Amino acid sequence: MTSRTGSGSDDDLAPDDDLGSAGEGEDFDALDGDDALDGDDALEDGDDADDGEDDGPAVPVGELGAVPAAASIRKFTAQAGRSRAGAKLGTLLGDVYYAVISFAIAAGGAVGVAQQLRVSLPPAPDVAPPQGLSLPALVVIAFIGLAGALVSLAGRLGPVSSGGAEATWWLGLPVDRRSLLRPAARRVPLVAAAAGAAVVALLDGALLADDGGRVLRAAASGMLAALALVLGTAVAQSLGVERRRTALVGDLTLLAAPLLAVALTLVGTQADALPVPSWPVLGAALVAVVALVVLVDRRLGRLPSRTLRESGSVVGQVAGAVVSMDSRELGRALSSGTSAPVRRRVSRLWAVRGAASALVVADLVQLRRSPRHVAQLIAAALLPVLVTVVPQLAAPGGVLVAVLIGGYVAQSATGEGARYAQIAPVLDRLLPLSARNVRRLRMVTPALLMLPWSLLVFAVIGRWAGSDGGWLALGVASTPVWAAAAVRAAYRPAPDWTKPLVATPMGALPTGVAAVISRGPDVVVLGLVPTWIALLVEHVSSTVLIAQGVCSVIAVLVASSIAEGTFMDWMARQQDLAEKERAAGRTGRS
Amino acid sequence: MPKPAAAVRARDLLVGYGGAPVCAPVTFTLLPGRVLALVGANGSGKSTVLRAVIGLLEPSGGRLEVLGREVDERDVQFRTEVSSVLDDDAYFPSLTVAEHLYLVARGHGVLGAWDHVEDLLDEFGLTEHAKSLPVALSSGQRRRLLLAAGLVRPRSLLVLDEPEQRLDQAMKTALAERLRAEKAAGGAVLLATHDPDLVRAVADRALHLSDTGNELLTAAQAADRIAQVPA
Repeated sequence: MTSRTGSGSDDDLAPDDDLGSAGEGEDFDALDGDDALDGDDALEDGDDADDGEDDGPAVPVGELGAVPAAASIRKFTAQAGRSRAGAKLGTLLGDVYYAVISFAIAAGGAVGVAQQLRVSLPPAPDVAPPQGLSLPALVVIAFIGLAGALVSLAGRLGPVSSGGAEATWWLGLPVDRRSLLRPAARRVPLVAAAAGAAVVALLDGALLADDGGRVLRAAASGMLAALALVLGTAVAQSLGVERRRTALVGDLTLLAAPLLAVALTLVGTQADALPVPSWPVLGAALVAVVALVVLVDRRLGRLPSRTLRESGSVVGQVAGAVVSMDSRELGRALSSGTSAPVRRRVSRLWAVRGAASALVVADLVQLRRSPRHVAQLIAAALLPVLVTVVPQLAAPGGVLVAVLIGGYVAQSATGEGARYAQIAPVLDRLLPLSARNVRRLRMVTPALLMLPWSLLVFAVIGRWAGSDGGWLALGVASTPVWAAAAVRAAYRPAPDWTKPLVATPMGALPTGVAAVISRGPDVVVLGLVPTWIALLVEHVSSTVLIAQGVCSVIAVLVASSIAEGTFMDWMARQQDLAEKERAAGRTGRS
Repeated sequence: MPKPAAAVRARDLLVGYGGAPVCAPVTFTLLPGRVLALVGANGSGKSTVLRAVIGLLEPSGGRLEVLGREVDERDVQFRTEVSSVLDDDAYFPSLTVAEHLYLVARGHGVLGAWDHVEDLLDEFGLTEHAKSLPVALSSGQRRRLLLAAGLVRPRSLLVLDEPEQRLDQAMKTALAERLRAEKAAGGAVLLATHDPDLVRAVADRALHLSDTGNELLTAAQAADRIAQVPA
């Protein structure tokens, strides 16, 4: 047994071999020109590093000194990354400039939309309808839903995580884990704080407030609330609460928000105004949040590797999905590890009678085992319902937007089976069905789920518009479009980053990516044009019904297609072919 | 002279996922200077037992002690004494092979770290790749890097999950030699393997895992048992 020598004096950490001249004839100076990484100086002693106990490891490797500080471990790794990134200062400044400009344009656009919305909203009626919801009450409910979504997301992401190389190469070191994890622990709370401030300010500014001071306090409230929620999730993580349980709490809160709204609507309870905390109250809240920050920081060392690794794996997957703008991968990442790994019973799949029914039943079982998607479906049904009972929002435009958003969110919850089949095509090939038939059958589950959604939403819209029958028929006629969109979006190919960028006022637009991520939304927007017209004129005619039926058939045909390219690709191919034929004709004549 | 604490002591240890055990309760004691091989079919629970021993999985039942204490990988002393090489395939994209090893060695307070890194690079045939980034390595070379990382730091217990995977025959022989040296130095080794030659060459005993019951075998018996399983 060997003990560690010394107690962290400079001599103990002096480079015992120079990084640039280790080995006979071997140049280890892999970080050419980076003096900071030369030799053992790169890893400095930590004040809080453990010097070992009485007995050292049975198999020593030379003489042991004090372990380095966690900060120097991070610094060593980061410097290596920077030195080999190949980015010059000019490039870095350019990127920062581009990011700032993009953010400023986006923020300006959002503020403009908020102001425009506030100006265009009609005033609240003097006498509230007996079964309605006031705008402030709706905003409170939106905040509750957003809080649930934030807790769910934070739970799925950790919120403290350590994945990939960091988990493999850092977590096994006997350094102070608290210090090692500190930067990782800041990521999610900081993003949540910024998002919380922005979302609350925009909602408050767009729907309720008309003075800047109030919006500023609302933004501060949103920031502190988001921070408190994420830090609370981090405390739960350090106490050993499983990720899926935290996520479930968030999902249930998210689901409770629209149910609460329905209850308030039925009861007829109204809130005339939504107070915003004063600055002294916000100051007190800040103190509480700082206390939470300290608590989380102290508990970082208690986080076990296994939860850090699990969360790190999800964060890595999520980051990849966001960078590649792949919403399907994002959904898969956020779903991973949040359901029980072992089921209590094996489904007998009694309804399976053949290949076609096997596919449909598998999709239904998959959805049944994903509570998040069931909650998403229900919450998305209640969005258009609520908009019709808020007097200021119940205009044709407001209802149209609510149906569009609610329907899109709902249909995206129904394509889970197709999404998994897209990433593992072997699942589709297991059954004796053609690719086209597989896609058609994959539309059955979304259609079965979107039908009751449509009936509920369009029944309420019929009540809003003052007539029922036609609207219900329109709901049924439009259902295949939602199902087609779900399958078309699920089977879209990977984004193509090789296509040229197009300059727009909002920044460069990668056309290859845009063409791919528009698959799915394009069917919703174009396939439901008759429905949009009916909503805007608040009337369903037989012409609209027929047109919607035709559009639905076209949407199903489009979603059944197994062609990977976009319409623009097809056009380009046809043009190439025509040019080749012309060229061949000229050659023949000459 | 006091009896040395067992490197690993498992009593009716139950491991699994979601409350469902992957194998029958496991009981064994691994003393310093000994090598115990975990053998069994795919899915028999070898890697799961190893994950429990290094603290990456909470046991569902039974008792498990590593170096005389309950398993807690958050404990600095545990991380100081337990070295593990799993099937991880994650590397810092900007660190060279040598720098990865240096990070581990210095992170454990090894003085003269570069000397040890050089030795390990030579031993694992990575000297030519010392300045290579992980992306430039083959799958087998990355495996060697992971094994070298497990040996470039001090340890009392070495936990290896199928260390023979992706290694050529020469490297397997060198690995066996290294593990024999580990025993001689007083280190304990717990490894999961499908390689009968490795079991025969280094293991003192082997524990055959299955969901019906576990069986403690001699190295020769275990090697024969593995060899009987059709590939």
